[in-house]
Amino acid sequence: MFSIGELFDWLTDPENWTGRYGLANLFVEHLTLTLVSLAIAGLLAIPIGIAIGQSGRGETLVIAISSASRAIPTMGLMFALVMVMGVEFRQFAVVLALVGIAIPPVLAGAYAGIKSIPIVIREGARAQGMTTWQQIRHVGFPLSAPSMVGGFKIAFLQVVSTVVLAPLVGLGGLGFGVIQGLALRDFSQLTGSALVIVLLSITGERLLAKAQSKLDRRLTHY
Amino acid sequence: MEWAAKNFDFVLELSVTHLLISLVPLVLGSVLAFALVRLTPLKLAGTIGTTFSAIYAIPSLAVFVALPAVIGTSYLGPTNVIIALSIYVAAAMFFSTRDAFSQVPKPTVFIARAQGLSPLQLFIHVELPLAIPGLIAGLRVAAASTVSMASIGAIVGVRNLGYLFLDGFQRKIPEEILTGLFAIFIIGIALDLGLWALGKVLTPWTRRSAQRV
Amino acid sequence: MIKPIKKSIKSVIALSAVAVLGLAGCAESNSEPLVIGSQAYYSNEIVAEVYAQVLEDAGYSVDRQFALGQRDVYVPALLAGEIDIFPEYTGNLLQYFDPEATATAEEDVYQALQGALPAGLTALALSGASDQDSYNVTSDFAMKNNLTSIGDLAGVSGIRLGGAPELAERPYGPTGLLSSYGVTVEFEATGDTTVESLVAGLIDMANVYSADPRIQQLGLVTLTDPQGLFLSSNLVPIASDAVNQEARDLISAVSSAMTAADLVALNVRSVDEQLSSAVIARDWLLSKGLID
Repeated sequence: MFSIGELFDWLTDPENWTGRYGLANLFVEHLTLTLVSLAIAGLLAIPIGIAIGQSGRGETLVIAISSASRAIPTMGLMFALVMVMGVEFRQFAVVLALVGIAIPPVLAGAYAGIKSIPIVIREGARAQGMTTWQQIRHVGFPLSAPSMVGGFKIAFLQVVSTVVLAPLVGLGGLGFGVIQGLALRDFSQLTGSALVIVLLSITGERLLAKAQSKLDRRLTHY
Repeated sequence: MEWAAKNFDFVLELSVTHLLISLVPLVLGSVLAFALVRLTPLKLAGTIGTTFSAIYAIPSLAVFVALPAVIGTSYLGPTNVIIALSIYVAAAMFFSTRDAFSQVPKPTVFIARAQGLSPLQLFIHVELPLAIPGLIAGLRVAAASTVSMASIGAIVGVRNLGYLFLDGFQRKIPEEILTGLFAIFIIGIALDLGLWALGKVLTPWTRRSAQRV
Repeated sequence: MIKPIKKSIKSVIALSAVAVLGLAGCAESNSEPLVIGSQAYYSNEIVAEVYAQVLEDAGYSVDRQFALGQRDVYVPALLAGEIDIFPEYTGNLLQYFDPEATATAEEDVYQALQGALPAGLTALALSGASDQDSYNVTSDFAMKNNLTSIGDLAGVSGIRLGGAPELAERPYGPTGLLSSYGVTVEFEATGDTTVESLVAGLIDMANVYSADPRIQQLGLVTLTDPQGLFLSSNLVPIASDAVNQEARDLISAVSSAMTAADLVALNVRSVDEQLSSAVIARDWLLSKGLID
């Protein structure tokens, strides 16, 4: 049924890396969808998270959103949005679904990051006469950076995982090999694609985890 | 919603399967996580921790689809998905379990030991009760992820609420997809409340009315 | 401390396994239930449900394993005895077992399939209902390019073909189009968004099952296939040796009773009235007097 040799042959066959449905192009599609969604989520969630963290208003909403969001069935959300927006806008619909999935963890990370800054420091910045923007730029943002990166890390994993399902709505991404491999019972294609997905996922996770701990150390070591 | 009303029995049947397919991995995964926490020597703890973080990074469809190829489970029936979900739960609960037990106050343990409690009595009457809040918190998070991840199992033929997404999309019936989303939401909330209530029941000393002079 | 844990783990697993298997659809009967499978295709599921209900009506216990996916996933399960009955399509199944098959007409394909099936599987009565892959274009596209048969596409450039991901590897896919008709296409894996993509102009040609009600509803043009790229494909029940003669006769009876019009009507009920396969199957069986 499963042979490491066949898997190796499949992974090293250049035919499987070229073309519209070759691993190289699928990888680029997967990464693009992920990064675009994370960027949009960040642009939306970080300012809101910082604002809620600073002012304290809307706290319960943040906590409720981030715990409820873990239960969102990503496949259902994606299908629902593609159906509602129509097949011509499926890229847009999928990105919207991905942004929806990415916002809660990023929001929680930004909020928790600001909250964790000792009130003395936050007040101190204000007492020094910094404008709100200066406070965020010189105090809020740097000090909550580790937590924000942590939020992105969780979001990254969720998003990469959901993009695997994108071929079900006619898009590309590395999930294509998993889905076609499953249909054709081509275990090499299936596990080979799964392997590339896992590598992408783990590499991103490790990079973000490393960034998070580096930022963390920079704050506590002087 | 008309569609939901017309197909209520079917949705109910799928919901029950979905609930079971979520509960069994929660139990199995927690037990596995607990066993690993208690049985791993300190030296390996770091490696196991990293391995489990890595497992959580693997997209669930990849695991559902590759597991039969790798360990020979059948695509037919829920076993494949249950094993995969249990692994995810174990990965998540490993850290929760470890933290929950490590924050049991050492002095309490020493006093109990000094009073002559055997290791098993110590565990049942002291460590476990004090670890319950942490365990329940971890379980609630794991339950939420499991309930939503289980729906992806429908792609490999498991008969749960995820089927409503696939069939609704294939037949272009938006209400079917929405019913699925709603049903999963309900199950998620029910599990969350149930676990919260279980935590309250198992820790009567945290309730104000239990305060004695 | 370890022993009690191991014991509880074992009993939990055993209990859960029993609970889960019990929920997998077994009836109260203590004999081995017949396992009926279906593809992840609503139309196929309706037919599978028809088989299941006619057997249950006669007192058999049935285990439904629906929405299993493609042939490549469930045929090995059929051969291994994990599935007993499956609604299949003669042409596609013949090509699965004998890629070099040359039969194209309905009866020839059925005969050839019976010969090509491996030991342990039998094809029961052929149904008049056909539901096969077909290449379709919008009526505008057909008029603009003067298309009636697949071969007419040879003069058109930049044709985007849409269908399920596995179409790329099927013998009637892009490779077959090139070798049988000299038509080059660019493949887009559109999956369940195929028909919408065709209508929206994102693809030019789509592989749509011939019994799909949307072909008529949306005025799509099915291109004729003189070269026999697609084998004639009718519904046929496939049974494993575990199925006894009485059950086989019951299923053959419903199979013969289903006409092509019946199948399209069943599909219409599913897509337009949005009913479940269980309800649609039951209504049809009652209307034909096949169950009471």
